[in-house]
Amino acid sequence: MTRRSLLEIPSGVQCFLGDEARRRREIERVAAEVFRGWSYEEIVLPLFDFDDVFTRGGGASSTDGTYRFIGRDGEVMALRADFTALAAKVVVSRLSRRKLPLRLFYSGEVLRYQPPRAGRREELFQIGLEHLGASGVEADVEAILVATEALSKLGIDDAVFTLGHVGFALDLLAGVDDPDERASALEALRRRDRDGLRRIVGTGAPDLTALTGGAEVLEHVRRSAGSGDALSRLEHIVSALAALGLEQRIRLDLSEVRDFDYYTGLVFEMHAPGSGLELGGGGRYDSLLGRFGREMPAVGFYLSLDRVSELLAKRGVSSPEAGASTVRSLGEALKARKQGKRVVVEP
Amino acid sequence: MTLTLALPTGRIFEETSELLLSRGVKLPPAVRAGRRLRIEADPFTLVLAKDRDVPTYVEHGVADAGIVGVDVLSESRPDVFEPLDLGIGACRMVVARPSSRPAGFYRDLSVVRVATKYPAVTTRFFHGRGIPVEVIPLAGSVELAPVLGLADCIVDLVQTGATLAANGLEVDEVLFESTARLIVNRASFRLKTEALRGLVRRLEGEREA
Repeated sequence: MTRRSLLEIPSGVQCFLGDEARRRREIERVAAEVFRGWSYEEIVLPLFDFDDVFTRGGGASSTDGTYRFIGRDGEVMALRADFTALAAKVVVSRLSRRKLPLRLFYSGEVLRYQPPRAGRREELFQIGLEHLGASGVEADVEAILVATEALSKLGIDDAVFTLGHVGFALDLLAGVDDPDERASALEALRRRDRDGLRRIVGTGAPDLTALTGGAEVLEHVRRSAGSGDALSRLEHIVSALAALGLEQRIRLDLSEVRDFDYYTGLVFEMHAPGSGLELGGGGRYDSLLGRFGREMPAVGFYLSLDRVSELLAKRGVSSPEAGASTVRSLGEALKARKQGKRVVVEP
Repeated sequence: MTLTLALPTGRIFEETSELLLSRGVKLPPAVRAGRRLRIEADPFTLVLAKDRDVPTYVEHGVADAGIVGVDVLSESRPDVFEPLDLGIGACRMVVARPSSRPAGFYRDLSVVRVATKYPAVTTRFFHGRGIPVEVIPLAGSVELAPVLGLADCIVDLVQTGATLAANGLEVDEVLFESTARLIVNRASFRLKTEALRGLVRRLEGEREA
């Protein structure tokens, strides 16, 4: 076997330098400030846990490609692949006596082994929040408001929020009981493959491209499919957001289901011109905490630090260091530092 | 709003340009000349790409939409929307065996050696049936591999079967039918909804009528 160079890196490993490193810190700082402004409290979550926290807690789709290892006692462990399941565990086990609703945020990386593809790195930096213990429309709307403010403060004023409700897709698949067929139907829905979907659920399947657009989509669906619970909930959310002046930022896509199977209600994604990848997303997951032993409604979202940073870089946002005064000795440096100046020592 | 559309320059190029023409989109002569790879053709910006690169451009969002066969999508499985089956470029992905061997002969082999341009599709198919497979990736002329004894059979895209027959091969099993799809970037679908819906409607043409 040839001896590997000490410089070789394993695939998936990243290292951020210069402007990129500064910009990422700045994004975290700005987002955290906004989250704190809405009284979300920071929690620092563990980098690894027992594997079943993610498999039984997060659901199968969230653990494709989890980095697993055997712990010292022989248990299967996993590097965190998802923050929400970890947060749910902490809420049920440690924060159960807190007054509800609980507002929490976190930031850091999650790890997922995945083959290289667009925007899918193995180390994903996220900043996210969870609003727990409230089932009302207000909590859904608050989550979206906080996300809007965070993006705006980061200089992304033109982000578009696409809203959906998983109840709509579940209604559509109500007659499909075979698990394989159901998985195929969900996949067809995820790909907006109308013909594929019709092969499974019949010709009654709606034209999926007609389910995305502005508020007229709700009107269209009410006429064609009648108004189920999902639809009226979504109407509430949309009109609340409109009343708060966010009408222009909102789009609808009723065929959106997202990747995680713990979503039970509202789902949303954030996009902005200049980026072909989602900047973040989230939704309501009222049954996830129950898996950890305490039923509690919840809604949350994440922002992708990687993609926000990439977009800001594309838009020419840089994070230069402040100028430094050159000093000749460490003594001079100490004096300058006491005055709060940035120094560089060049004897 | 201008849409950037990635067009495949390979196997389905002719059928794609005919389809576009029939929907009132005339490709400028520069497309056929094939030198310039990014061409303005109001209301589209056209990007001429290798078939297998179309999903890459669309997935990253440097093209809002693209046209590509299911064969390519099945191999690379990009995270994109597939709102429309265009019905063109029809062919079949098949396992083909030497005509001298009986149907399904490879089940009796300890390991079946399969030459293909579609390693992921091939591996999924054989492993899905519990058959160990040794994939022999080739870039073209896959039919040659069984003739030379490099592989036991092949997985390839077949239109008429004439090339198979000429090399002493026949279809053993059809994996799936492949037609061309319109694929759309997930973010573009949200940010340029109206323009993309217009494109879908236009390409659907009388197919839906």
